[in-house]
Amino acid sequence: MKIVTKSFLRYLPRRLSLSLLQLVGVACGVAAVVGMTLSAQTALRSFSNTIEFLRGRSTHTIQRPVGPMEEGFLSKLGEDPAVKWLSPVIDRRLRLENGESVRLLGIDPFLDRTIRPEIYRIEFLGEGRENLENLLSFLTDERAILIDSHLKEEFKIGTASILKTKKGPLHIKGTFPNPSGESLVLMDIGHAQKLYQLQGYIDRVDLILNDESDFIFRWGKGFFIQSSLQRRETFSGMLQAFRLNLEALSLLALLVGVFLIYNTAMFAVVSRRRDTGILRSLGANRLEIVTAFLSEILILGFLGGACGGLLGFFLTRILTGLLGSSISSLYFFLRPEPVAWSSWIVVIGMGLGCGASLLGGALPLGELIRTDPVKALSGRIATPESARKAKRAGLGGMIVLFLSFILFILPGAHVYVGFAGVFGFILGVSLLMGVIFLMLHPFIKRFLGRVGGLSGKVAAGNIRQNLGRTGVAMAAFMVSLSMSIGLSVMIGSFRESLIWWMDTQIRGDLYIGKIDEAEVPEDFFEEIKRIDGIGGVHPYRNVLTLYRNTSINVSAVDSTILKKYARFGWLRGGNENWEGVKKGGVIISESFSRRFNVKEGDTITLEGIKGPEAFKVIAIFYDYTTEHGLVMMDRTTYIKTFGDRRLNNIGIFIDPDQPRRAELLEEVRRKAEARGLPVRTGSQLHQNILDVFDNTFAITRSMRAIAIIVAFFGIAGALLTLFIERSREFGIYRALGFSTGQVARVTLIEGLEMGLVSFILSMGVGTVLAMLLIKVINLRSFNWTIFYFPSLQPYLITGITAILASLGAAIYPIWRIFRTYPQIQIREE
Amino acid sequence: MSEPIIRITNLWKSYEVDGLGVSALRGTNLEIKKGERIALLGKSGSGKSTLFNLIAGLDRPTKGRIEVEGQDLETLGDKGRTLLRRAKLGFIFQFFNLLPTLTVFENVFLSLELANRPEPELALNALKEVGLKGKERRFPNELSGGEQQRVAIARAIVKRPSIILADEPTGNLDTTTGNQILELLTRMCQETGATLIMATHSPLTCRYATRILRMVDGAVLEENSFGEMAH
Repeated sequence: MKIVTKSFLRYLPRRLSLSLLQLVGVACGVAAVVGMTLSAQTALRSFSNTIEFLRGRSTHTIQRPVGPMEEGFLSKLGEDPAVKWLSPVIDRRLRLENGESVRLLGIDPFLDRTIRPEIYRIEFLGEGRENLENLLSFLTDERAILIDSHLKEEFKIGTASILKTKKGPLHIKGTFPNPSGESLVLMDIGHAQKLYQLQGYIDRVDLILNDESDFIFRWGKGFFIQSSLQRRETFSGMLQAFRLNLEALSLLALLVGVFLIYNTAMFAVVSRRRDTGILRSLGANRLEIVTAFLSEILILGFLGGACGGLLGFFLTRILTGLLGSSISSLYFFLRPEPVAWSSWIVVIGMGLGCGASLLGGALPLGELIRTDPVKALSGRIATPESARKAKRAGLGGMIVLFLSFILFILPGAHVYVGFAGVFGFILGVSLLMGVIFLMLHPFIKRFLGRVGGLSGKVAAGNIRQNLGRTGVAMAAFMVSLSMSIGLSVMIGSFRESLIWWMDTQIRGDLYIGKIDEAEVPEDFFEEIKRIDGIGGVHPYRNVLTLYRNTSINVSAVDSTILKKYARFGWLRGGNENWEGVKKGGVIISESFSRRFNVKEGDTITLEGIKGPEAFKVIAIFYDYTTEHGLVMMDRTTYIKTFGDRRLNNIGIFIDPDQPRRAELLEEVRRKAEARGLPVRTGSQLHQNILDVFDNTFAITRSMRAIAIIVAFFGIAGALLTLFIERSREFGIYRALGFSTGQVARVTLIEGLEMGLVSFILSMGVGTVLAMLLIKVINLRSFNWTIFYFPSLQPYLITGITAILASLGAAIYPIWRIFRTYPQIQIREE
Repeated sequence: MSEPIIRITNLWKSYEVDGLGVSALRGTNLEIKKGERIALLGKSGSGKSTLFNLIAGLDRPTKGRIEVEGQDLETLGDKGRTLLRRAKLGFIFQFFNLLPTLTVFENVFLSLELANRPEPELALNALKEVGLKGKERRFPNELSGGEQQRVAIARAIVKRPSIILADEPTGNLDTTTGNQILELLTRMCQETGATLIMATHSPLTCRYATRILRMVDGAVLEENSFGEMAH
């Protein structure tokens, strides 16, 4: 290794604690990106694995547009010349006694073997028992099941066992391999029909077709036929907005990481400036200096990236679970396995660390290349340049802000354009940081002078004088704090909007059944209706279907009851909108309206049991149940269109003046529990929804915390840079009689000032960021309006975080001061 | 008569300070012959360091011409000036300017490596010559000021440059050590035939010079010899 390079690299072990501090900062930035990206990828891969595994060799599926289809069609399907093979399927959720939910497939083992042959590598339980005997008991025992390898491991299944479920004990006859991430239980289709009270019905038929067009021609009316590819795309499409938001969060973390690396690299430039001057005077050329510098920041990038990769891997263990439960709560059940260890994770981390180091190190490298050896040797720092640079950066910031503004006002622009605008906005204000600081400086100086006396005045001057270093650290910290405020305000507003929405739609006293699993028998609904004194029993059905080949939800409601008890938030009009629904019209959610550009008075066409049916859109309502769009119609219209009488849940409404209120609610509860149906009060349902909401944003919160940690190291690095850069100055302070405590106080106030300035700016920037997230990103991603609810809490929490983080960041530099200040002399060497 | 090793013609160097032009050098003219040992006297701010930086090609003049061994520095370009520093110039500073992360040996060897003569024996010999044998593995902060300046001298002479520029070489040392350093420096220059230019405040340095120059307000004036100065 060349000695020039060696002279730079030796700084790493010589200033070990500082190198470690820098390393941790880089590692945190990389960990955030690796953790988030890998978790998102794992979740999505697990999802596509599950789809692929369950698809098996089938080429198509056929099902009713909504709800189960009649078993009678099977013989006709079997006779169709385009059908090479078929397998009827019951596809449901099974809740275990411990509360976990697994997927249950009801299949005909003789037909299904051709579609999903890999499942049938069954290991039957029980020693010495013949396979045939076991197979027979699987077919004859009504509660017989096969479980997959995941469940076997989870429940430590031995020779014979029972799986305890909310539908009673099920007898495990054997296990089968399952390479997908989702736990699976197999049951004979006849027994599954009985278990779910679906006698005569099946959920879908998996098909191997040899002529798609002929088949669609014959079966297209009243059925949904999807190829495997279409089915996969439909499910993938459901996750699109979710995935996009995860990617954006990772990028924000990376952005803060790049700021930090810039800071780190700038620190290296500062510490090596004099050495650069010496080397240049000895005849080293720019290339040799560049190589030495790059080696140093790349080593930090490599090591920090490798540690970040490792940290990111551990982060995936937490994030994957969070992601899985978020996707399960919002879209469909998914339990992704955390990513398996691979040395590639470290390699990816190294790549990211180096890439980000190069990106963050580009400007400092430029500064190093331009280092004037004469100035460097004389120890002169061009202070007037700081203000000039800040003004130049500010001008750039204004241009970036202007371009971002254009991106926001572009009509009908994609959400990616919105994200680009948000990133532009963050970059723009970061570039303006120096200029804004210069404007605020006189006030800050006066304030710090009053609060901190001489130390305060010196500290204020130092930050101003070293704006080139401090400006970047403050910008990075400001971005993190703004992210914290912006995301908190957005989440808070979203939560408040959700509470408002729940109050408009979920106003029942009791809810029986769960939308995503249990179905409420129709006779139970009739039984409850017959109870005297109940104001209204509301039947609710919610199903997934396709509109313009895109997955949407259709809900069946009783418009008379809702008109009386609910207070829907309409975009236009009021409760009179229900009259049109009673007459066969539909109301659509705001997300549906925006997604498909459908307005009041338009007509939409849905595939019904008898073919396409047209519906007039009566009104649009605010809704947060699904970003994919919801069409709501009266139950009579629904049954007429889809022939599906099933119910997901029923809502019980009791008039407030009803004297037997408690008694009636108790009676309904008793009857529901007798049938094994889950019962929740309105407020419990509200709470459940809020829990799902909070769970969904757990990832956002964790990313926000990482961004603050990364920025914390940025402030610490900047303070250290100031300390090292001004060691000669400290010699003068010492000669003038500044005590160690006073110099430490200067550093503490510098940290506090940087934190304070960053926080003051982040209040404005964070609020604008929140508005952009609410009015641009959410609207374009999810097609729903979030109402802005101002709250002091995010600002208070972020303010306290800023002060604590900036004080914390000063600890190490202060420790250095206590250790070295008493020996500092007014000399250069 | 031999060609001068350094020829400076009408050299000007101006800086801008708070929007005002300040000239550090004002039409300086100078010729230095090979093997001369020059003491360049002058007060702080008289332009000594500026002149050194310009001769070394670290800075560029506002006006005028500098020739080193007959080559115009301006026409050499940045690359040429870098090569010149590597091969023909040795620099000694008041504050030693050793690289703190390199050992004594590495600091000296660095010069050879840059001059594309990576021979460790040369570095070891140079350290032996300056009396630092056995301290090769030490780092600069483990040495006294005098020892550090010896390393700087070894670093400057190891590549056998034709010119050594010493900017206040004893400015940071006590008188005894300063004299030892000057003796060492002049002896080594005599042995190698290098031209030595020493910038100094101190008239005592003049004792080691063959020619004395004085810088006053950016101009170089010829002085009498040390003997004459002393009387």
